[in-house]
Amino acid sequence: MAKLYRLLLKLESGLLVIILTTTILLAVLQIFLRNVMHSGLTDADTFVRIMVLWLGLVGAMIASREHRHIKIDVLTRRMSPGLCQVISYITNTFAAVVCAIIAWYSYLFVMFEYEDEMIAFGNVPAWLVESIIPFAFTVMTLRYTAYIFIDKPGQTTK
Amino acid sequence: MIIAILAIILVLLALSGEPLFIVIAAAAILGFYANDVDLSVIAIEIYRLTETPLLIALPLFTFAGYLLSESETSHRLVRLSRCLLGWLPGELVFVTLISSALFTAFTGATGVTIVALGALLYPALKEIGYPKNFNLGLVTSAGSLGLLLPPSLPLILYVVVAQQLNLGVPISITQVFLAGILPTLLMLLMLGGWGLWATRKTRIPKIEFNAQEAWSALKEAKWELPLPFFVLGGIYGGVFAVSEAAAVTALYVLVIQLLFYREIKFTDLPRIMKESMTIVGGILLILGVSLAFTNFLVDAEVPGALFEWIQTTISSRYTFLALLNIVLLILGAFLDIFSALVIMVPLILPVAMRYGIDPVHLGIVFLANMQLGYLTPPVGINLFISSYRFEKPVEVIYRSTLPFLLLLLLSVIIITYLPFLYY
Repeated sequence: MAKLYRLLLKLESGLLVIILTTTILLAVLQIFLRNVMHSGLTDADTFVRIMVLWLGLVGAMIASREHRHIKIDVLTRRMSPGLCQVISYITNTFAAVVCAIIAWYSYLFVMFEYEDEMIAFGNVPAWLVESIIPFAFTVMTLRYTAYIFIDKPGQTTK
Repeated sequence: MIIAILAIILVLLALSGEPLFIVIAAAAILGFYANDVDLSVIAIEIYRLTETPLLIALPLFTFAGYLLSESETSHRLVRLSRCLLGWLPGELVFVTLISSALFTAFTGATGVTIVALGALLYPALKEIGYPKNFNLGLVTSAGSLGLLLPPSLPLILYVVVAQQLNLGVPISITQVFLAGILPTLLMLLMLGGWGLWATRKTRIPKIEFNAQEAWSALKEAKWELPLPFFVLGGIYGGVFAVSEAAAVTALYVLVIQLLFYREIKFTDLPRIMKESMTIVGGILLILGVSLAFTNFLVDAEVPGALFEWIQTTISSRYTFLALLNIVLLILGAFLDIFSALVIMVPLILPVAMRYGIDPVHLGIVFLANMQLGYLTPPVGINLFISSYRFEKPVEVIYRSTLPFLLLLLLSVIIITYLPFLYY
């Protein structure tokens, strides 16, 4: 089980590396083709813009894993550890609920696009590229749910 | 009544360390739910991020900035600036200000500048014999310069947000990039002038210009020297769009650091990519849910109502700008610059435009205020970073930064009321 979890973490980071590298190379190739060869890959621009969304959402998944989302913690900074623990239950539960709501409604959105056979670019269906949204929010829901049980204050305010 | 209670709960959650994107998303969910709007709209808004070509610049410049701050660029930058500016009176003051501003412009992170450049400059300043408190204040406040210089990420993000608002006036990144240059020069000159005055009693041996040393510093930095020209020349020369300049910069920095300087190993790349994209993910997610929330606000005609309400007390543009400065100063001390941008600009910009304020002008005023927020006691983040880095009590940092903070405040006022600085 622990092994599987570590493998998933590696996959997550690996996915990020692949997307970022592809994005950089494709964007530069496109500039070269446009300025020097006066041509260009059809749909490459759209593809790159979608990759940025994927980068952001996979990055956001990892940010939840490492508690690195942007936050303000002026209130908890000076609180006793006991109170911090209570607050961390509340904030993690709230985060899990909000992520779950977005995950569910973005799943409905993706299904809707699937039924309508919407196209993102070329012959790539829109639901495929959009599916990262419910996926990322599901992963974040699971993470915040797990943190309700395993978070120790002090880790959260790091 | 219910709305007020919910709003208070959300604010309390935000202040207790709830990730901000969760708080904003919750506000959007509640708003749409109350207005019977299908909540799938949030997913649609997040997907709409793919319609903004400029957004590509965000991950690519962030990645390039991370690479630069992981390598020895800071050493080369300081060495070269000292060689070139050594003949100036108070050279180290200007070296500190200029190199910090350039570093922040490229890395987009003011705290990183204090840690990376401060570590080099603080001992050098001490060695020359400048007063200790002056050195601390200088290094701490210099870190926040550069936010208004291209290709800084907050400038890009401001334009991304403004473009989403359908203002009816086109706003381009090139305009905003240009507009930040003179205000930055003003701040540099004011802080530099103060630096000369504050250190007038310290006798410093003049450094002779050493051609050999300068040549060797130039040679060492030869791969990094073209970077500003890539960004500025590429964009203003019309060769690249900003998003293209970002792609070229990212690839170029990657190649020189991996192959020529060899300060970053291939095996380091996954970690650096992961760390930089975590930041980007955080910003993009806040941006996505804020777009949804803004959408709700516009549907509910909140910016219009806000304008009507403000106009009952404030009729002049100048009073409005003064009020804006105060609000942004307070906000800047609590919110980080990225969240402040995506949350506040959609509210403030439409109102400001009704007062006849140009969007480019507002962007510069907004960011200049946020820059001050980094240094405003009691919670300005850079004060803590500096206290941690130089192992001084934060009260000492407050006191040593104060003159610089006041000067920057003065420059922000000048920037606010003299918009001709931009054109």
